[in-house]
Amino acid sequence: MRAQPNERLDPRAKRLWRLQGMMTSVFLLLPAAGSFLLLDRVVDAPTLVSAVPWLVWAMFAVMIGLVLPDIRWRRWRYEITEREVDLQRGLLIVTRTLVPLTRVQHVDTQQGPLERWQGLSTVIFYTAAGPNRIPALATPRADEVRDRIAALTGTQDEL
Amino acid sequence: MSSSPQRLHPAVLVLEVLTSFRRWFGITSVPWLFVLFRDGLSSSRVLLLLAVVFISIAASGVWALLSWRATVYFVQGNAFHFKRGVIGKNERTVPLDHIQSVDTVQGPVQRLFGIVEVRVETAGGGGKAADVSLAAVARPAARELQRELAPRRPSAAADSSEVIAPIPAPVRRLSTGRLLLAGATSGQIGVALPIIFTLSQLFDDILTPDFLMSFAHDLLPGSVAAIVVIAGGVLLLAWLVAVAGTVLAYAGFSLSRDEDSLRITRGLLERREVTIPINRIQAVQVAENVLRRPLGLVLVKMESAGYGADAGVSTTLFPLLRRSEVEAFLQATAPEFAVSPVLQRLPARARRRYMFRSALPLLGLALPASAVLIWQSRPEWAPLPLVLVGVGAVYGLVRFRGVGWALSTGRLIISHRTLSHVTVIAPRRRLQSRSVSQSPLQRRAQLATLVVRVGRGSAFEVVDLDADTAEETIHQLGPAGARATP
Repeated sequence: MRAQPNERLDPRAKRLWRLQGMMTSVFLLLPAAGSFLLLDRVVDAPTLVSAVPWLVWAMFAVMIGLVLPDIRWRRWRYEITEREVDLQRGLLIVTRTLVPLTRVQHVDTQQGPLERWQGLSTVIFYTAAGPNRIPALATPRADEVRDRIAALTGTQDEL
Repeated sequence: MSSSPQRLHPAVLVLEVLTSFRRWFGITSVPWLFVLFRDGLSSSRVLLLLAVVFISIAASGVWALLSWRATVYFVQGNAFHFKRGVIGKNERTVPLDHIQSVDTVQGPVQRLFGIVEVRVETAGGGGKAADVSLAAVARPAARELQRELAPRRPSAAADSSEVIAPIPAPVRRLSTGRLLLAGATSGQIGVALPIIFTLSQLFDDILTPDFLMSFAHDLLPGSVAAIVVIAGGVLLLAWLVAVAGTVLAYAGFSLSRDEDSLRITRGLLERREVTIPINRIQAVQVAENVLRRPLGLVLVKMESAGYGADAGVSTTLFPLLRRSEVEAFLQATAPEFAVSPVLQRLPARARRRYMFRSALPLLGLALPASAVLIWQSRPEWAPLPLVLVGVGAVYGLVRFRGVGWALSTGRLIISHRTLSHVTVIAPRRRLQSRSVSQSPLQRRAQLATLVVRVGRGSAFEVVDLDADTAEETIHQLGPAGARATP
């Protein structure tokens, strides 16, 4: 196996993703409560059965709010070499992607409200096959990465 | 570079009137005719009808005349301008740099006048709606326009602008025999069947089930035989529709090449002409469907690049070739793609995974089916659904055997088989990205999936390659300098 890409995302990414996961879990309370009421009031199921939606919800919330963000952060790596962008990501299925800088059409940085609060930004670079992103970099770092990709794209000759 | 403002060919008046006539009368004539025929034809009614028809033709004719006078197009200052609109004025400006293709289409009416519709596209070409569509342009004017608007290389622009490009000689035409063979083996029966059923609704009164049954019964006595005859008849009809569809689309298919673009002309009722710059071809696909494979016949398609957010398009490069002709054909049209390497196969440990993956969904179907049979106290039939699982496993084995790949002088070749056997050829420098991904199960078997993208929505993959080989391959497919020594 070749060496992994050597840059990591900002450590604050874990906090950002946990926040996002928790917010998602809050929304998921609604279907959980719905199915609990359905089982408890309408079907009149035993208490143990009616508790299942809450259990499922709790497991899900712990996963997306606590466990998965850490795994995702540990997996995510990137590197911008002279000729290519090298990305590695994935929870169960780990994917390594190489994008030649000659193929990059343009580069953006983007910041959602939560990201802004945490001082993070996402770099998005587009090829004819669609967008690729490097999420949750410290904003100054993201600007640096964006400018570096743009500069390298400009200097590359067609093969 | 500039040209004086041009009007469309006056025959556009006829086209416009016909179009509006069809639009208005297509919907409104039915109740009118109904009233007419119910109450019988009197001379006053016929006169009224004729008057209505005459007035509407005259009105749409006047409108068409006004809009013809208002429509002009010209090239000025490195942009193509298109002005139109009788009441509201509209001017569209398309920078010449952004023009990807200038295609012509000729419908039956246009053919009558020797004119063509010119479509100016800024996206990949061949899309549904053109950015500018000139409904009626005389042939010579269309050629002139194509020459003026042709996407040009900076170096070629200076000297070629004054020389009229010769019409290139066809590289290859589709013979009538091949056309019919292409139709017969197109495998589009699945597409044709719904059409048959829709049509059969229309003829419901004539073709009642009783009539069909008695008809089939006369041909071959016995009710099973009758059903077989009907099913056979429907299939035969669907097959004929599929043949007709292919003939309509590909009759007169001719492919020609000038220095840096390919021109494809095809179509029976509607003549289509498409121009594709060779350097926008991202990948070539050679497909052999179930019917063609035993006959050694293939279809050659190409993926061309889109622009910006637009998807690229997949176009037929040639509808039917012998497998043995493909390499020479590509050598003559798009030499970058002419290659026939020895393919590498997957490691033997991937076989089990292929069989398992194809069998598993069928197991999900078969188990409940068996359970139902046992529950219905028919345990002797219970093993039967499990035969499906065996079929799935065999299909998986066939797929495993069909996978092959190779790296040959800067080109990636991927072969895979579902119902058709498809070989993709993509030059290294056309790849937008390369990925290797690995699931936990693949990690245990030291296998990985290789994915290359050549355009939006067109990705090609090899599943269950040796993991180290896959990793090595995506690095080898990189720009020359990034190829670190292993």
